[in-house]
Amino acid sequence: MLSLVLIVTIVGNVILWSYQMNQVDWERIQEKLEIVSIQETVLGVLIVFENGGSITSHVVSLWINNSTSHQRFEIDLFIASGETTSKLFGNIILPAGSYTTKASTERGNLAILSA
Amino acid sequence: MKKQIKRFLKNKRAITPVLSHLLLTVVAVSIMSLATSATFIITTNLRETMGERLLVEDVWFEEGNNEIDINVRNVGKVSIQVAAVYVNNIGQLFNSPFNLEINENDWLTVDLGWISGEVYYIDILTKRGTHIASHYKAP
Repeated sequence: MLSLVLIVTIVGNVILWSYQMNQVDWERIQEKLEIVSIQETVLGVLIVFENGGSITSHVVSLWINNSTSHQRFEIDLFIASGETTSKLFGNIILPAGSYTTKASTERGNLAILSA
Repeated sequence: MKKQIKRFLKNKRAITPVLSHLLLTVVAVSIMSLATSATFIITTNLRETMGERLLVEDVWFEEGNNEIDINVRNVGKVSIQVAAVYVNNIGQLFNSPFNLEINENDWLTVDLGWISGEVYYIDILTKRGTHIASHYKAP
């Protein structure tokens, strides 16, 4: 009897886990982060983000890439649903010529802007 | 003593009801313990496989090094280990063992001479069997 209860509990946990992972995937699909613009100012690099999704985005990393270097910056930026926000990065130096900017979220989505 | 052994061997009576119940209980408990253990092991594997999520943050075709650097982040709910990397469906050497804890990211380096302008299909396979694959164009 006890074993039956244990088996039901274990299988129940798996079903619950499956539901949680579905929820994670659903949230990831709902996220629509965009890099609107990037420009160099006197104080640093100003990047404008737009969250067009229905849930809050947590941006965790930023990439500045060109053909010779790929730089990753750890950031911690929350953008509410529908919000457009700008953030100034004093530690970033933009490379000369063409480059690509990428931002990745905690849920595993990427926003890319080529300049 | 010998008499007692002879008497015991000559005894043709069946085992007592108490003993039979005891035996039955032992057998039932053993079978159910096995079933519980099997269920736990199978579902743990299933749970871990379901919880794997990977993100390729960046792919860098490094000039002059004959290597492709892939920045991978673990966005899942369990730690992962990369088992194989395929480029255009051919297994490649990489910096093995490559393990990532939850929310951790690192460079996965693949030793491969690449050609500028070519498109490469990179497929990363984890130990539990999760694939993450996409096409990337060399600069």
